[in-house]
Amino acid sequence: MDPLDLVFQALAHPIRRAILDLLKRRPGLCINDIAEQFDVSRIAVLKHLRVLEECQLIIVKKSGRKRAVFFNVVPIQAIYDRWTTEYSAFWAEQALDLKAQLEASIHGPGPDKQIQKSSS
Amino acid sequence: MTATSKNQPQYFRVVIEAPIERVWEALTQRDQVLPFFFNSVLHTTSLAPGAPVRMRSPNGKFTGVVGEVLELEPPFKYSHTFKFTNLDDPICVVEYELKSIEGGTEFTLVVRDAPAGTKTEKYMLSGGKMIVAALKHWVEKGRPSFTSRLIGFVNALSSPFTPRKCRSENWPLDKKIK
Repeated sequence: MDPLDLVFQALAHPIRRAILDLLKRRPGLCINDIAEQFDVSRIAVLKHLRVLEECQLIIVKKSGRKRAVFFNVVPIQAIYDRWTTEYSAFWAEQALDLKAQLEASIHGPGPDKQIQKSSS
Repeated sequence: MTATSKNQPQYFRVVIEAPIERVWEALTQRDQVLPFFFNSVLHTTSLAPGAPVRMRSPNGKFTGVVGEVLELEPPFKYSHTFKFTNLDDPICVVEYELKSIEGGTEFTLVVRDAPAGTKTEKYMLSGGKMIVAALKHWVEKGRPSFTSRLIGFVNALSSPFTPRKCRSENWPLDKKIK
């Protein structure tokens, strides 16, 4: 299968996106800590992690008996590079910032936006 | 940044459709402009552990990154300490791991001990993904990507504004990097 198909398939599930959010915030979490954060079985989380690992959105590193999990941004960068140019990237960012500012002034900042802003 | 994320490594991984030797050769090329490394030139006496690493501008006038080789295991692993000459942040470590897989080479850039909340951390995060993407393009296509060319152009324009402390005479090969 095309590697890009695998990436989009992996990103299509809300739990898998939530796992990436979590790992971006807390790199190196072990598998048990990840499983605890979700209301689904450990087996289901392991399955999601396998899908994410297969398309390289995460990297799993053994350290002793534990397995630490890290987010790998490169497949997403590849998507970004494919469909943006220097010019469109600049204006798209301006548009998204404006959207975030306006929405925050109405609803208060969303949880994801807060994380993004504090780490960028 | 939470305390737990402070010293956690950051991984940047990509599959390059080329044999491992070819990727290794591109990565460790010396005294030649490296389009995937922001058009710098790797200047050093050797790549043996302990050898100095200097990433210089193509004309040699400026040195942007300094460090020291930690590990060299051709063609699988290469690591060195890393410090931006324009910043006073503590040093961090950059590792390059290569693994031969079906259809090419799995290339991983690892940034360790990036000081949390510093400009170094910020630059390493955006730099890491650009380096792996640009290296893939360079090795597979044999020419620099559009972004690499653009960076080369911008670097050339901005060199008159580069701080004095980045001048290469301030970073001789025998200077110890702390």
